[in-house]
Amino acid sequence: MTGELTAALSAEYAAIFAYGPIGVQLTGAEQAAARAAEAAHRALRDVLVLSLSGTGLPPAAAAYRLPEPVVDRAAALRVAISVEEKTAAVWRAALSATADAQRRQALDALTGCAVRATRWRRFAKTEPITVAFPGKAPA
Amino acid sequence: MLAFGAALTVGAAGGCGLLDREPDEPPQPDPLLPLADDAVRLAAAHRSAAAEIPERAATLTAIAEAHDAHARELSRIMATPAPSPAASGSAATTTPTAEERIESLRVAEKAAYESAVQACLRTPSHRAPLVGSIAAARATHLEALK
Repeated sequence: MTGELTAALSAEYAAIFAYGPIGVQLTGAEQAAARAAEAAHRALRDVLVLSLSGTGLPPAAAAYRLPEPVVDRAAALRVAISVEEKTAAVWRAALSATADAQRRQALDALTGCAVRATRWRRFAKTEPITVAFPGKAPA
Repeated sequence: MLAFGAALTVGAAGGCGLLDREPDEPPQPDPLLPLADDAVRLAAAHRSAAAEIPERAATLTAIAEAHDAHARELSRIMATPAPSPAASGSAATTTPTAEERIESLRVAEKAAYESAVQACLRTPSHRAPLVGSIAAARATHLEALK
């Protein structure tokens, strides 16, 4: 179980890092959504740090590779969608390694990522704005 | 509506104790069967709404196709026959507005999401990723129907 949650922690660190440059390129409701998303990922990170304390936590890196440079609004929206999809995949993988309260935590995290990705697709006017299996790699 | 439920037989009748069971007792229905029936029913409801609300047709059709995909995957892991399409429901006495149709779909998606969450928490580990993805997808449908 620890391996999947450790992977989730690394993904949450990366998501928090990504929302820095994403937020800079956005304004208004989109910037507010970026702030809320970053706060949600920070909360997930904090829960994971508590859950994994004493197991040799992976440290946060100084920087994370983004899927593309965040040079404008369009790139920011694409990166935000990508971040949420990648983080959803890590939480989906954690479902099979968890039970009871930890599975509920993983499911809520997967759901949060999926809903945020949907919001970002709406902002980006990407169709369709939903995917059939959030967190699952495309066939 | 002909869906998954029609294909399976419910288990022992009430009143029989464990020691009374016959060796060839029919298998219990798969616990994911209600989830699959929800998917078939929701696909039909969204497809029907898409035909009546052209301005939301792209979103409603995408959601219907997601429910179709959920039904197929649940059928695969339950090893049951492929689902039959569901009828789109009984005729209403008054025609609902587009807003009422969307709100009705949101109510149905919310109930289906909550069922999928409970199913994910109870299901064996190897099924949890699929059931969790279905729960998450239903939550995104609520978002998409805003």
